[in-house]
Amino acid sequence: MIRLRAFAIAAAVALSTASLAGCASGNSSGSSSSAEDGRGPITFASGKDFTKEMGTLLDKWNAAHPAEKVTLLELAASPDDQRTAFVQNFQAKSSAYDVLWSDVVWTSEFASHGWLEELDPTVFASSDIMPAAVKSATYDGKTWGAPFMTNAGLLFYRSDLVKTPPTTWADLFKSCEGRPSGMDCYAGQFAQYEGLTVNAAEAINDAGGAFLAADGKTVTVDTPEARAGLSVLADAFKNGMINKEAITYKEEESRRAFVEGRLMYLRNWPYVYTSASATDSAIKGKFGIAPLPGVSGPGVSSLGGIDLVVSKFSRYKATAKDFLAFMQSEETQKFVVSAMNQASVRTALYDDPDLIKVSPYLPELKKSLLNANPRPVTPNYNAVSLAIQKNVYPALQGSVTVDQAITQMAADLANAVG
Amino acid sequence: MTSPALLPTRDRPRRTPASRAGEKLHPVNEGRLAFWLIIPSILLLTLVIGYPVVQGIWRSFFADSIDGPLEFVGFGNYAQALWGRYSKEFWAAFNVTWFFTITTVVLETLIGMAMALFMNRAFRGRGLMRASVLVPWAIPTAVAAVMWRWAFDPRGIVNHVLGTTITWTGMEWSSKVAIIVADTWKTAPFVALLILAGLQIIPDEVYEAAAMDGAGPWKRFWHITLPMVRPSLLVAVLFRMLDALRMYDLPAIFTNGANDTTTLSILVVRASLGNLQPGYGGALSTITFAVIFLAAFLFVRLLGANVVPKERS
Repeated sequence: MIRLRAFAIAAAVALSTASLAGCASGNSSGSSSSAEDGRGPITFASGKDFTKEMGTLLDKWNAAHPAEKVTLLELAASPDDQRTAFVQNFQAKSSAYDVLWSDVVWTSEFASHGWLEELDPTVFASSDIMPAAVKSATYDGKTWGAPFMTNAGLLFYRSDLVKTPPTTWADLFKSCEGRPSGMDCYAGQFAQYEGLTVNAAEAINDAGGAFLAADGKTVTVDTPEARAGLSVLADAFKNGMINKEAITYKEEESRRAFVEGRLMYLRNWPYVYTSASATDSAIKGKFGIAPLPGVSGPGVSSLGGIDLVVSKFSRYKATAKDFLAFMQSEETQKFVVSAMNQASVRTALYDDPDLIKVSPYLPELKKSLLNANPRPVTPNYNAVSLAIQKNVYPALQGSVTVDQAITQMAADLANAVG
Repeated sequence: MTSPALLPTRDRPRRTPASRAGEKLHPVNEGRLAFWLIIPSILLLTLVIGYPVVQGIWRSFFADSIDGPLEFVGFGNYAQALWGRYSKEFWAAFNVTWFFTITTVVLETLIGMAMALFMNRAFRGRGLMRASVLVPWAIPTAVAAVMWRWAFDPRGIVNHVLGTTITWTGMEWSSKVAIIVADTWKTAPFVALLILAGLQIIPDEVYEAAAMDGAGPWKRFWHITLPMVRPSLLVAVLFRMLDALRMYDLPAIFTNGANDTTTLSILVVRASLGNLQPGYGGALSTITFAVIFLAAFLFVRLLGANVVPKERS
């Protein structure tokens, strides 16, 4: 009797903990809605609209297309939650989302599952669009997304302490030697999360290393070049050029260090420009922007940004594609820069004097973007990124050598793509 | 969750006994009535707990692919975790989960016991004290975790107070300490409350008699308080142990699993939601379920004869 009771209690308390996988594993069932290439009202599922300007943009479209109105569906702020919502929606073959906001690293994953409608490259991947952004929307030689916003890392530096920004790591660290006491030399994003993949990819790509081959399946990281790239960061941690507290930095922590005047050089996204030039910034008017440093000359930035994709299960694909063209049009892209303060995917806009007046960092960002590299393009991006983070992190801490880290990373990457 | 199911059952007893006014309720009828009364709750629980669990277990026997037909792989996903290609990270997570469980439960029990003994004394402002001690427990874990992460920031209040410059969430030992501290802060009050409930049913006369017989405070605690509070204590430890075995929020927010703080639950979420491996994720979650189940079973069997009052024969 006691045994039975114990069993019952144990079962009851343990049961409530096991429901997660069940929620997550809804198997694909249900029939695809008839794939008519029709026209009609569509839903645009986007990430959180921090700019508060997306509504203005959609109003413009809706006024011109009363029969094909676009409804904005803002999802959670966390990219992970957005992706989960998208995946669940795709798995249910739901037509609830017609146009989706896809982080550049998701597009190939969605495409590989057959969840996306193929797009015409002559329309959405023309030569007017940044080549790196086009590459991020390409999988298996086909175009699956319309690049909408883009992003690249920049080197923020203290213009009151550094006259000309360094273009190589060696120059950067050398210029730090006489820095004011209590000020750190360099920081990026080194906590174990997606930002670490971005920073490690920049160091390794610039040194000539690559995580995966172009096929997205062959592991190519076990090379002297990749080791040299990772060593730049690991050595900087070792000799104090990067403060050891930077191992906890994400974008915000590192931004704060720079804006509070504790940092000579910062690798971050263009958004830092706004808060660094705000009135409460300790370094207002005392900072400049340059492309990232590299081993021998300007470095290679990882590419960020958003592709717009059309769901395979959308009922109004013709409208959805027209909407994508509208979002990529020059007029909309100007709005993206001037009102939303985001980086456009149209190369020509970076030379527009009116826009440069609003966002003075555009010429430097253009240099960075033209030299940018998409992060590994693979359907298993999530596992690939985790394999990179997990091995880079201890190498930066110094608890494993760069050599061991790269060897283990190669093994973990093989596991992730296999 | 259960309140919608309770609604009909709350209505019914009022009507049913009234309609049978004067009629003597036989135990059999009562049993049958009880059966019908709990049916809605059972159905709801089956739907919201049973279905996902069964679905998770069922899915764990199939390959990870989320397109096309399901491919049956038997115990393949379990083998991958236990001795296959994911075994290293699985056993690391298994060990660290138990490490956190044992350290936090021991600390929380000791501190909770001390708090309960203190709150059980008569003093001015006791009510306020009892209410305020529960504040940490009332804060959602994720919110508490974000709060503590700020506190453990290299420039946070913890370093400021201690006069140190420790990168708390950036090293292995300090990450673990930070997680244990935050978890203990949050749940010791819960243990304290459960123990306090047990302390309050111990009659004062027992203590008075013991004191008269010459038992000192330590002896009174050891021979009266502890044995008499044992049932509540065991329930508190059981609840805490099961909760700690599925720890997720604190390590996820403090370190995102870095510094050897990846618990089993983090692995489950990563596999199921992150890497889109419903098969392997299902296996991981079933294993976690089995671990928790076994822990609870052994605990109740070995220590817990009193956890549930013995049925009168």
